[in-house]
Order: sequence, then C-alpha cells, then structure tokens
Amino acid sequence: MAHQRTSSTVDSVKEPHSVSLKVLRLSRPSLSVQHPLPLPTPSPSPTNSPAPSASLAYPSTKNDAFILSPLLTLPPAFGSAYVGETFSCTLCANNEVLLGSNPSKVISNVRIEAEMKIPSSGIPLPLRLGPENPSDADEEKEEGKVVGKEGVDLEPGKSLQKVVNFDLKEEGSHVLAVTVTYSETTPTSGRIRTFRKLYQFVCKGCMVVRTKTGLLPSSGEKSRKWALEAQLENTGEETISLDMVVLETKDGFRSQGINWEILSEGEKMEKPVLMPGDVQQVCFLVEEVPDAEGKGPEPTAEGKLIFGILSLAWRGTMGNRGFLSTGALGARLK
Amino acid sequence: MDHLVEQPDSHPTTLITGLRCIDFSGPLEFCYMSHSQKERKFPSSQVSLPRRPTRGPLDIGETPIPLPSPTSTGPSLPHQPSSLLSPTTSQFMTPRLASPTPGSNLSLLTSPSFRTAHSTLSTQSPSRSPSLAPSKNFSFLLRPEIYHPLTLLDVPPPFRVSALQPDPSTSLPDLVSSGNFRSAAIKAAQLLTSEDLSPSLPADIATIFELIYTRLSCLTLCGQTALAAQEVKALEDLNSSYYRDEEGRHLVPWELRVLAVRLQGMGFNDARRGVMGYYELAREARLTLTSLKKSRSSMSTPGETNEALENEIEFWSTRLQELGIRVASALVEMEDLEGAARFLSTLSPPSDNSASASTLATQKALLFLCLGDVEAARSAISISAGEESEKKVILALAHMADSDFSSAVEIWEDLISSSFSPSELPMYRQNLGVCFLYLGRMEEARDILEALVEEGSSFHALTFNLSTIYELCTERSRALKIGLAEKIAGMGSKGEKANGDFKL
Repeated sequence: MAHQRTSSTVDSVKEPHSVSLKVLRLSRPSLSVQHPLPLPTPSPSPTNSPAPSASLAYPSTKNDAFILSPLLTLPPAFGSAYVGETFSCTLCANNEVLLGSNPSKVISNVRIEAEMKIPSSGIPLPLRLGPENPSDADEEKEEGKVVGKEGVDLEPGKSLQKVVNFDLKEEGSHVLAVTVTYSETTPTSGRIRTFRKLYQFVCKGCMVVRTKTGLLPSSGEKSRKWALEAQLENTGEETISLDMVVLETKDGFRSQGINWEILSEGEKMEKPVLMPGDVQQVCFLVEEVPDAEGKGPEPTAEGKLIFGILSLAWRGTMGNRGFLSTGALGARLK
Repeated sequence: MDHLVEQPDSHPTTLITGLRCIDFSGPLEFCYMSHSQKERKFPSSQVSLPRRPTRGPLDIGETPIPLPSPTSTGPSLPHQPSSLLSPTTSQFMTPRLASPTPGSNLSLLTSPSFRTAHSTLSTQSPSRSPSLAPSKNFSFLLRPEIYHPLTLLDVPPPFRVSALQPDPSTSLPDLVSSGNFRSAAIKAAQLLTSEDLSPSLPADIATIFELIYTRLSCLTLCGQTALAAQEVKALEDLNSSYYRDEEGRHLVPWELRVLAVRLQGMGFNDARRGVMGYYELAREARLTLTSLKKSRSSMSTPGETNEALENEIEFWSTRLQELGIRVASALVEMEDLEGAARFLSTLSPPSDNSASASTLATQKALLFLCLGDVEAARSAISISAGEESEKKVILALAHMADSDFSSAVEIWEDLISSSFSPSELPMYRQNLGVCFLYLGRMEEARDILEALVEEGSSFHALTFNLSTIYELCTERSRALKIGLAEKIAGMGSKGEKANGDFKL
C-alpha cells in the first residue's frame, strides 16, 4: 500500500493551500461481481421473492446467473505493484476556494510536475504527464485556458487532471513526488505558491526465472546444440496468464521454443495460467550457426558462451500487461 | 486443479529476479517432471484457498444434548421437542436475539395444536404444498435464536431517517416488491418466529420454506450475506430424506435449495461444499429431465405434444444450465479462475437456442478478460453467432484491457447511440464514464455518472465510482458523498444501500 509522506515544507507560508492534490492509482478497472438469486419458476403470486434484477450488478433484464458482469468498477485500493508492469496514476489539482469566500481568491496558472525516485538511483526521473492534447479542446476552454506548459486557470471547484505512466523495472521502494505550482491572486495581492507531496510504494517481483542449460548429444553434425530450460514462477499475489516467452538469440545462434505454441492438429492454443505460487516450465533448443567462414561464436573471457536473453510477457487481471527480460543466458564451456 | 505435483523443496538452480541475472551454468541437478510440463509449487488450493476445517451438521453434537438432525431422524421417529432447545450458541459469533423464557418457548415449539391462526401467506398454489406425513416436524427451523437482529450501523445516515422506513404493518410481499429488503428480512423472521405457524401442517411447512427463502435472499440483498450464511446452517443437510415426502418429492422449493448451496458453503467455511452442492442438484435435475423425456417419448403419438410436459422439460433444462453457470461462478468465487475457464469450456448451449449460446460466449469472454487472456476473450465472441451489442461490449472491454481507452470510448458511444435495450444503457454509460477517467477527462466522467444518478440509477458500481471521483476532485469529498447518498435516499429508489456504496 502506498502511503503518503508528510508534505515537505517547500512553502514556508503556514496559510492552507487553495489548491489540493489528489491521487488515484489507475490499475485496470475490474468487472463487477454479482450473486444472482435463484428465483422461483414459475413465479408465484403474491410473490415473496425479490425482483430478478435486484441481485444483479445493474438492473439488467437479461437472465444471467453468472458471477461476472460487464459493469466496470474503479480500483478500490492501491493493490500491489510488480516489476515489469506499468504503473499508472492520475493526479488531480483541485481549486478548493469556496465560492463567495472573502477575500476572493483567483487561482491561475496551475501546473503539476511529477518525478519518480527509484531504488537504484539518487536522481529522480521526471515523468511525462498526459494527456498532452486534450481531445476536447473546446470544452477544456470553458474550464480554463490550456496554455501548454504555462499552466491552467481553474475556477473554484474545478480540477486539473493528469495521468502518469511509469514502467516499473526494479524491486524496492519507489517514491512518486508531485509538485503543484499555482498563482493565487486576491484583490490586493498576488503570489506564486507551490507545494510538494510524496507517495511511497513498494514494488515487488512477480516473476522469478530459474534457468539451466545442457549440451545435447551431437548427432554427427558440425554445429553444437543445447537445451535451455527455464522455470517461471509466479511469486505475486495475482493470477496471470503467460502471453509470450521468447529466447532472443545473439548472432551465431538460433533457438526454437518447444512449448505450448506447438500444437497438434485440431488443438487450440491455451496460454498457461499461473496462479500465485505456480511454476511453468519452458524449454528452448539452441543451435550454433557458424558464420560464412565456418567459425562458431566466441566464448567470453570467463569461458562462457552467451546465447541471448529470455523475454517474457504476461497479462494480469483485466489484461494488465507485464514484461521482463532476463540478463544474458548461456552455457559454460568445459 | 489437475496438476498437484509437489516439487522438491530445494532446487539447485539459477535464480534470476527482476532484471538482475545471477547465471551460473554449473553441473545442475534438475529434477524435472518429464510427464508434465507444468508443476505447481504448492497445490493451487493451498494458495488461493487454504483448506479450512470442515464444519457440518455433525458439529451440532458438541452441544450437551444432541440435536436430532434431519439426517438422523426418519419420518417415523417423533421429534424430541425438548432437545430442540439445546443451546447451539457456541457455534455463532454474531449477536443473537435473546432467547425467550424456556416455558414460552416450549409451548410454542412443542404443541402443533398451539397454532391459533393461519398466516395470510399460506395461500399457496397446490403444487407448492405437497401432501405430508403428519410426523414431519420442522419446528427446528422456527427457533427464535436462529434469526439474528439487524442493526442500522452499516446504513448510511440519509437512509436511516424514519420517514423512509416503511410502515411496520406493511405486508411482506409489499416490502419485497418495494425493495425494502432489510425490513422484509426482519418481517420474515418475525413471521417465522410468530406463533401462527404450525411446524407440521403441510400448508404451513410450505410457508415456512418460503419465508426462509425470503429471509435469506433479502439478507443477501441488504449486505448481510454473512448473517444469511450463519442462519442457513439451521437447514442442515437439504439432501436428507427428511426433506422429502412419501412420494419422494422435495418439500423445499428449488430456489431455496440452490440459494442454500452457496450460503452453506460460506457458513460452514468450505467453498468446495458449494461446488459439490450444485453437482448434487444437477444430478437430480438430470434424472428428472431423463424421466420426463422418457415419459414424453412413451406417451406421445407423432404430431401430438403434451404442453404441460414440454414446459416441465423446458424449465428443468433451464435449471440444469443455470446450475452449470453457478458452478463456474463458485469456482470464480474460490479464485480458481483457471478451473472456472476449463469448466465453462465444457458447457455447451442447447443447439436450438442462439440467445443462450451468445450469453455463454459472453460469459466465457468475461472470464478470459478476468484471467488476462484478452485474445481468448476476443475469439470467444468471434465464434458465436450472437447478439451484436453483446459482442461490442466485449470488444470495448478488450480495448480497455489493452489500455486503448480511446477505441473503447468510440464503441461505448456507438452502443449508447444505437442501443435498443434500455436496460443495458446505464451499463454502457457508466463504463464510458470510467473510460473517460482513464483518459484524463474526469469532468466528463463526473457529468455522465451524475446524470445517471439524476435519472434514477443507483447501483453499487455507479455510486462507488462517483464517490471515487468525488474523492479525487476535492478535499471536501465527504460532503459530496453524503449529498449523493441524500439524493438517492430522497428519490426513494428500490434496494438497500450500505456505507460502502458511498465510500463513507
């Protein structure tokens, strides 16, 4: 769970801010769950049983006994953040000045900036804020002029909404730092105010990959062959389905997956589903491809042949994407 | 569910976590399972559903005086009324109604002749009051301590005002049909524990089961499913022969038997019990269907059909199909999405019914979306010759799963402008609003959701999503959320509301 640190005192003025910042992690919306009641057939009268639609997620007239409905619900909680996934978050700067307040304050030039502090680096990464081109520019103008980087003028009760996306690549503590800057004008004075809020969350690994390679007995051909096996373990708390597992080979090698994409006739491809704690095993055949001069790939100084890297992609609940590549994989030469 | 292979604890393998790679390709001893590509480190059930101690009717034996359960009491054995009063409070963690004094309780429960007046509810269709042996006695379902009192704690303040509470004299059917499920649940319990019902009179027995159905279903509709799961335990084993009359007909209406399956699974803390319960009912439905079809083929001459028999066959096959969907739902509720998907793929719609084929395809697609297999969701609907609007709904959801919210917006808008089914319109619009929020168009999202409320919609996702938007757009969201609750309370809409609906 992300928790918000006390806002740093960038602004020395003790007076409460006229603009508030609210944040919601935009995980995928979820399908609403319903528990449709079994109803008497044929229905008696006078009836003591509730209307068929009363137990549905929305008052549909469809006769549906299924638990999942197409009605979407916004994420109720922060949830877990995993390496390989894209972290999406919406930031809202809201004009909190009450109508008719005294002295009357005008809020203009509201800007939001966001950065992400990641475990491996002391320097926070600036984040791009979307949407850059509001699709309904005309409507946008009624609420406040969009003047690019110059900021937005906000009427009381109005909000400036931005969405950030960040690819999570490291385990550990991340901090989303959001800075809001705005001009506050009263009939007698005007000033530029700013505040900063920090949101900390922990990113966990959801996929553990174990590999091993073995030299295959040569069948009299010149090129050597290996089998690269990998175990993929879902260490997260959510069910995921594996989208793709590919061994991306360097020059001098070619590989062939011998996994679920190989189907016998009439079979339908089924993507492996990994529940929390499940392990899926994959295997690739790796073959040496000698170059034009008939020379095979050179081993590294440590006497290791590097085949390439393993790339995996998966989808979580409601299609949430995850993507990961391993480091260099290869075989040690005897 | 199919591979429950324990893996050796220590694997001398290379570990790559995240992006780091600590690769060493030494002489590794790998114990791969050659017969199975897939292994479970833990049996799936342990991860998603820790096995809990099974509690069942036998637990009642803990009480000082054993309670005669329907399973152990044959129709010929007369009930021992005194033992029915044995305290079972230890099983319940929820607050109970104070038990009446033993004297009054005994007189109520022991003497069938105590009945003073017939309930007005006992006007039954003949099929619902089968003939009974006089020895059947269901007084164990009328004990006041079964039925818990309901508090108003979870009801948002605007809905607590007495002007909104129905008149206490309102009849139960009126309470149910007006959506006052809390009051209906209370009323049903009052009627069950009143002295008007005779636990061994056939007509009253039918009323008892109907009241229990109303009580339990209304509890689930006012957010008190946990209480319903406790109260349903009193029914014990509905498959016992005690619940059948001499001709083998079940005394409990089908809908209550189906409802009791899920609730008992929850009440006895064993979700698997739910799946098994549906299978038992399905077996019965299949047997009934077989014998009905047999009698159809034996009696009818070509060109002549027995309408009553055809109807009977029709609704038993509907029941059977519905049970299939309920099994899949139970698996989803157990978080075994993969098992649910496998199970759903074994279901086939009746060949002559394209509407239910389309519904089944949509259900599969929704489950695939939940699993994250967006491609499978798309292909599930491409096969069926189903309804165009249902396909579009799945397509829009698939776009959202792919993070392509702009394409989803187009489809939702198209569905809204061309919709022929007014009952689906609120769903399209609500989902469009959700899409807008992900696109950074919160203002529009709020307008759509508020308009839906103005027009009288008040389903949970709508109020929850709108409350979430209120939390985003101001620090003073509580006032807005209370305002929303007041507005919905003032519109007198059907159904019960809980604090969670407004994030209060």
